[in-house]
Amino acid sequence: VTSRQLLLGVEFLVLLACLALALSVIVSKVTRLNRENRTAIALAPVRGALIELAAGEPDGLPVLRGARGETAQAIDEAAVALLSKVRGEPATQLVAVLEEHGALERAKADAGHRSSVRRAHAVQLLGLARVGDSTALISEALEDEASEVRASAAYAASYLADPWLAAPLLRSVGVGEGIPAGLAADALLEMGVEIAPVLRAAMRNPAPRTRMVAAHVAGIGTFVQALPELRELIASDPDLTVRVEAAESLGLIGRESEVDLLARCTAVGVATDLRRASARALGRIGAPTALTTLVDLLDDSDRRLAELAAHALVQIGPRGVDVLEPRRDEPAVGTALALAQLKAGAL
Amino acid sequence: MPDGARVLIADDDPDIRDLVEFKLTQSGYAVEAVGDGLAAWESFQAQRPALVILDVMMPGLSGIDVLRKIRDSENGAVPVLLLSAKSRDSDVDTGFAVGADDYVIKPFSPRELLHRVNGMLARSR
Repeated sequence: VTSRQLLLGVEFLVLLACLALALSVIVSKVTRLNRENRTAIALAPVRGALIELAAGEPDGLPVLRGARGETAQAIDEAAVALLSKVRGEPATQLVAVLEEHGALERAKADAGHRSSVRRAHAVQLLGLARVGDSTALISEALEDEASEVRASAAYAASYLADPWLAAPLLRSVGVGEGIPAGLAADALLEMGVEIAPVLRAAMRNPAPRTRMVAAHVAGIGTFVQALPELRELIASDPDLTVRVEAAESLGLIGRESEVDLLARCTAVGVATDLRRASARALGRIGAPTALTTLVDLLDDSDRRLAELAAHALVQIGPRGVDVLEPRRDEPAVGTALALAQLKAGAL
Repeated sequence: MPDGARVLIADDDPDIRDLVEFKLTQSGYAVEAVGDGLAAWESFQAQRPALVILDVMMPGLSGIDVLRKIRDSENGAVPVLLLSAKSRDSDVDTGFAVGADDYVIKPFSPRELLHRVNGMLARSR
């Protein structure tokens, strides 16, 4: 066998693999389109009743509940989609239809299915339908090996809003990239004040992502009980992202007593992101004791930091603005004063 | 009372379009439903609706883009309600800053939406 023949053989195999791949893509698209068409056809006679139910008119409820076979399956798919769009009584009625068709029981069983796609769908439905006794299943799903299942479980947790899910959710968000931090934060915020102890404990979790989410939620959700942990994170966390998030949160819920700590974090030599976050936080707190620190930052070589310091001085109020007025010609100061005037005009 | 007042709803989700259209039509409004921002802007100019409901994320022109165009137009004082899945405070702030009269977050209650529409129209008269 010559090298030319070998090369031709390899080329042929690559071509064959490409053709097989193209064919499989086409087949899967056609299959999906066919399935969608069949579902649309099965749904067509009852879609009006379903839309009316979602709009709060239950006249068609008996027809929808009584459907069987392909029609029931099509109704269930459409009802699940509608559950993410409407709330209140219409959502309750949609859940009643799903219950009648056995979809919720199937979802509970599918939460342990070997296919991760089935598990993810099942968990999502249990959340959307707010199936109260599914909390344990959602908790297990938050620790699933498949990232898509963990993400679905976080989504479900935001609907169930059960504080009991806060700990597994915070543990899970620290594992890999399965659960988007924003989704986890939104879910935790839905759970209310009861999660405060869990949040505080999570700020000592070994996973930086868990600490970051907990710090973020502590600020956005006004968990003032977590102030000691936030201070600790800013001062000594080994992860810069966590320290930055803690500084942002301290700006949201901190008082004048936090000024010293935040001022130290604006010092030369501290990481740029933390200096900027701390300057923003000083502005949000708005305490006049931060004046000297912020005025010094106006001359910093990091021009973005100087801009943030100027904005922070505006946020402090008349005393901050008085300091800025003589320096109005400096770009950072001029922009901050102009924005403040625009905002005052808009109000 | 609706008195057949004309309402324009723009949403790229046919389920939302259909259920809002049903709810408002049932309550006596004349509803024009479109599926994207450009169609919303064209319909707004042609129909001069008494109230507009805009989804924020739409293909082509977003709801925010359409709202800006409406506010800059001759009929710029028309009440506009934004209906969106974007639920963060900053999203709501942006909506109101651009000139929305109300902001409803999905998932929403169709009944509550109707009350808001009734209220906005009553205040605008």
